[in-house]
Order: sequence, then structure tokens, then C-alpha cells
Amino acid sequence: MSGHTVRIELTVNGQQREAQVHPMTRLLDVLRENLRLTGTKEGCGEGECGACSIFINGELVNSCLVPAIQVQGAVIQTIEGVSSSKKYGSKLHGVQEAFLGWGGAQCGICTPGMIMAAVHLIENTLDPTTITENQIRTALAGNLCRCTGYTKIFEAVQKACHLPGSKA
Amino acid sequence: MTQALERSDYHRKQKRFAHENVTSPIKKGIGLASFMHGSGFTGSGEKILASVVGVEATSGGLVRILAASTEIGQGTNTIFSQIAADTLHLDYDSIEVAQPDTSQVPNSGPTVASRTCMIVGKLVESACISLKQTLISAGLLKENYSPTEFRKACSDYHQKFGPLKLFSKYQQPPQIGWDDVKYQGDAYGAYAWAVYIAEVSVDTRTCEVQVKDFVALQEVGKVIHPILAAGQIEGGVAQGIGYALYENVVWKDGRMANGQMTNYIMPTAADVPLIRVFFEEVPYAYGPAGAKGIGELPMDGPAPAILSAVENALGITGLNQIPLLPENLMLRHRSSR
Repeated sequence: MSGHTVRIELTVNGQQREAQVHPMTRLLDVLRENLRLTGTKEGCGEGECGACSIFINGELVNSCLVPAIQVQGAVIQTIEGVSSSKKYGSKLHGVQEAFLGWGGAQCGICTPGMIMAAVHLIENTLDPTTITENQIRTALAGNLCRCTGYTKIFEAVQKACHLPGSKA
Repeated sequence: MTQALERSDYHRKQKRFAHENVTSPIKKGIGLASFMHGSGFTGSGEKILASVVGVEATSGGLVRILAASTEIGQGTNTIFSQIAADTLHLDYDSIEVAQPDTSQVPNSGPTVASRTCMIVGKLVESACISLKQTLISAGLLKENYSPTEFRKACSDYHQKFGPLKLFSKYQQPPQIGWDDVKYQGDAYGAYAWAVYIAEVSVDTRTCEVQVKDFVALQEVGKVIHPILAAGQIEGGVAQGIGYALYENVVWKDGRMANGQMTNYIMPTAADVPLIRVFFEEVPYAYGPAGAKGIGELPMDGPAPAILSAVENALGITGLNQIPLLPENLMLRHRSSR
């Protein structure tokens, strides 16, 4: 892309970051290329698969569909921030623990997005222990997975709802 | 078969659905498929390939598996480490799997054909037995040993003889024979067997099919890692559900015309039922710890089980095309009335 670039300032995983990019650069590329946060994956690049899911101001968003100019001043959380955020110290989030323990990941491409979607569900539910299987299905319906058949992912998220590391 | 029928409550459901379907616009049905899938390459494939696996032990007693199989999330590195740890009576953590770079590891063939566990895993096992025997023959290790004694033996071996590296090459089990000229004989050394039962609901207004329950019962020999093995089955069944109901490859001028997630529809978390996986374990003598192949098996059963369930729901026969898209079923359903 030619043309002028702009300076984008944003908070990523609690840190002030900036990038000099074309205004229409995808947020996904700003994260991966400019900020070197390669935990967020590109699946389809057209907003269908959810692999690039992140939080913008607390909302779950496909970062492949967001132009950089739109996140000027925004607060962003990526998969890297799920485990290292001050809230959890250096420990893994309950969702990450559960994915490890119950076989929630295979090839790994969908995993960061799946975890973001599950964390979003759990952290936005007052009492995560009340979350039903149907709520989990609905919450993860925007994240495609080719390997697991979702079953182990549902099991992992169900377990995570009851782990202390998942409390909002 | 008996177990799968019981687990799915097949007969009772069939009766109940027949009764309920009379008055409901949403018809329910249940169907099954019994099938098998050969493990390893077909015919003389494995004999010609003659795969090789190596193991080496460092002077510190760390064991490295040298194989060309690629870890793609299916669990190759985990099961190879388990097989080696079990064979050598060591901790899982003292086993390492080398990167599958054939400048560093021998050619153990491609990661395909439901062969990694049964064929390559068996070579891991036999290479580990050779490693153990080498240390025992050198008088450095007793038959029964502790991990500490193993480490000491490795260290002593390195001092006396140098690097400790053993290889194992595929040998066809004696009872298997394949004639490449007549194209007859045993196509595979072993088969994985399965009975899959699908329960569906068909909305007769929209002709949309939903899979409501899925029982996947199989015999894949000894299960090496229950979570990973179930993960292979669940993933394969979900792909099979897509194959049966959604995934329509449209070709145009030699290219796929719908090669996007927007128009090539695969199952989402909302489309896949809880897949109930059960294993019967009948050890196979020529697999590691009795294991056979698993990877491709679960792709074979869902489509016939689902189509048979749709036939059961609608009281029709002869559905023989997949994917069974709503528009296809609508044409078929209307013409049969």
C-alpha cells in the first residue's frame, strides 16, 4: 500500500504502544507485524473463522476486519495479555489451563481465538459456574475449528467455568 | 454393535420417533454405519517404503527419537514419547522427539495413511528395545533397572564406545502377503473397526438436517492416549458431518469456485452435537503396545450413518448423494411424495 501513513497510539495488554502505518492496515497486521504479537493468528482473513479474535475496549472482535485508524486510542487485549495480565500474575488463565488439561487444542491455529471467545464469555458472566453448554456453543459459534470437532473445546470451557483462575 | 446400539438407545428411539413423526413437521430419525479402515499403506506400500526410525541416548541418559513423522496437533510427539518411555521404563519427561528434518532423522515415511502410530510407533518401540538390549549386552545394564541406572549405563557406554544410536527398519509381519502382479492378498496388516450411530432431525418445511446425537464406537487396538485418541475421533466425525451435510465443492473451469469460508460451509460449534466416543480395545500383535491406526477411520462412517438416519426420519430409501444440502433433500422429498 502506498500513500501516507499515520501514527496510531493504543494500549495493548496494558502497555502504551504505537505504530506508524497506513490508516487502512488491518489491526491484525499491526499486532503481528508492527508490534510482533504473533499469538493472534490469521485464519481466513475475511471475518468468518474467528482465529484472529481479540478484545477492543472489552468487545470480542475479528482483528482482520478492523482498519488501524479505527483503533486510535483504543484499549486492546490479545492472547498474550490473557496470561500475563496483572489480574492473573504470570499464571495461565483458567481457560488456558483447561485447554491444556482437557485436550482443547490440536493444530493450534484456532486456539488463540477460541480462548479469547471463551475468556470473553466467562469474564462477562457474573457467575461463570452457571454457564450452560448452549451458551458455550453460542459464544464459540464464530470460531471455526477443523481438528477437534469442538467436543474437547466445549469440555475445556465447561471445566474452565469452575476453575478459580477464570473468575472475572 | 450391541454396545453401540445400547449406547445410542437405537431400538427404543427408532420406535419412539416413528410414533412422534406422524404428527410433527420435524421428523426425527436414527441410522447407523458399520465400517473399517486399513492401517498403514495399501498392499506392498510399507514393504517398499521400508521405513526407518532411530533412537539415540545422550551421555546424560536423555533419549531422542529420530523419526520423520510430523506433529500437526494429532499427538505424534506425545505418543512417540509415551511408547519410548514405556518401552525403556523411563519417565515421559526424559524422552525428546527430534524435529522431523530428514537431514537429521532417517526416512520413516510420510505422515499419512493412518500409519504413524501403528507403523512408525512400532519402529520407535523396536528401536527402543534395541537400545535397551545394547546396554544389557554391553554388561552396563541389568534386565530390571531404575532411571538412575539407565542414565549411568548411557554415560558408561559413551565413555567406552562413543555415541549410542540405534535404528529399526520396517519388516512386514510374516502372515501378511500381497501379490502386486495379481493384485490380491492382504491389502492391510490390520484394520480399525467401527459402528457409528447418528440421530438427526429433519425440518420438513426447510429440509434442514441437524445432527442431534452421535455415538462413535471403534476398535483401534490398544489406545495409547485416551484424550488424543478421542480428539482424533471427534475431529474426524465433525469433518464427516460437514462432508455429509454442508461441504459442497463447486468446480468451475478447473478451479474451486467457492474456496472461501463465506461460501464453503463447514460445521461450527452450533452445528456439531456432543460426539460420544467409545473404544473397544483388542491389542494388535504388530502395533506398539497393541495399537493400530486411527486418523482416517472417523471420516468414513458419519455420512452413511447420517443419510441412513435421514431416510429413517422421512421413511424413504435410496439417498445416495452427499452433501445432502437442504435444496437437494427438498427436491428428493417432494418427488417421493
